[in-house]
Amino acid sequence: MIDLAAQARIVLHQAFFGGLAAAGFGVLFNFGPRSLALCAGAGAFALAVRTLGLDAHWTLEGATFVAALATASVALIGLRGLGAAAQAIALAGCIPMVPGAFLNEALLGFFTISASEAVNAEAAILPSLQAMLRFIFTLGAIGAGLAIPSHLARRRGF
Amino acid sequence: MSGVRDELDEDDADPVRMRHRDLERIANAALRVGRALMECGASVSVTRLGVTMTARGLGAGIIGVRVGYASIGLTVSAEQTTITRMISVGGHGVNHRLDMAVRALAARVAEKGGTVASVNGDLDRLIRETPRHPVWLVALATGGACAAFGRLLGVDGPAFAAVLLGGTIGQDMRRRLVVRGVNPFVISALVAFVAGSIGGWGARLLGSASVDMATIAASLLLVPGVPATNAQTDIMEGYPTVGSARAVAVGMMMVFAATGIWCAQGLLRAGA
Repeated sequence: MIDLAAQARIVLHQAFFGGLAAAGFGVLFNFGPRSLALCAGAGAFALAVRTLGLDAHWTLEGATFVAALATASVALIGLRGLGAAAQAIALAGCIPMVPGAFLNEALLGFFTISASEAVNAEAAILPSLQAMLRFIFTLGAIGAGLAIPSHLARRRGF
Repeated sequence: MSGVRDELDEDDADPVRMRHRDLERIANAALRVGRALMECGASVSVTRLGVTMTARGLGAGIIGVRVGYASIGLTVSAEQTTITRMISVGGHGVNHRLDMAVRALAARVAEKGGTVASVNGDLDRLIRETPRHPVWLVALATGGACAAFGRLLGVDGPAFAAVLLGGTIGQDMRRRLVVRGVNPFVISALVAFVAGSIGGWGARLLGSASVDMATIAASLLLVPGVPATNAQTDIMEGYPTVGSARAVAVGMMMVFAATGIWCAQGLLRAGA
């Protein structure tokens, strides 16, 4: 019971900050006021699904793929009246899952390894490579998860 | 002089030349629609559709559309006459409201037709009048997004405030540099350094235990998430050239951002 409450708190925490990040980037991308609320909802939903997946011991890439797929599907069905804007809202909702921090970690690690007096380069290369691969696969998971529903529905909108 | 005048009059009366002029104006209007879409963050397939719908709505036939990363080419036809025109594309940004408005314009022209003058006028009006959020709100919201991202990555409360400040100042600095026409990759390095330094030093001064992550989180506004997903979309939809170009641009952007963060972290370590 305690575990369940703690888990719910974690999900709510991730959903709240996912929604906040999606809405913030929505302002940067010039979404209108109503769309911003939907971006926040999409971000919260995506992060909640991903957190539940991670709690179920899925990989980050797998949980991110399912979260993007679910967000795009819900947007496609629930916001069908908005046409192409529904896809844009789903994309904005998935932006908080873009693993930019992994890419930065990988590049900073590579900078260190490539220094002429690099110490323990062999030990440092593995985390950097791992971060780079996680960035690539997670980004691929978001792209695939977003694209599949609209291609299956043949309703990519304009 | 009157001989030249007569020659011009004769040219104007030439139906082939007249058709060429009409087609050129139609092609240019359709290409302007495509350029606006690309610059607003639309994928290649959407841009192609926008160009095609506009040109057809204005009465031209379509022979081919080529959408590149930095230019769009269009060949239109009328009976036996064809003409090819090209337009350059500026910086690829994201502007959702303008994107949707331009799509609506193309759809309207495709459905109801129109004139070249009305399409050009409507497009100018949309570019000029489509609402944008105030710059202070964009800066603050971007800083808030970075701070929220930071929380998702596990930064603590003090670092949250530092990242909020760093991201806000970073976005304002980016806007000012864009207005001055500075190269986007250089902007990425400079903004990453400034935003990362503010995030890192601020987190340290506030007693945070996640200084390194605060440095990275404050510069996450530079991660080109939409171009990165657009790159995949373009490749999936059969346009690997533009998709690859977008992916390379994303990679370059992040290398420059990482350089800025590396400098910021170096200064932080030196000041420890």
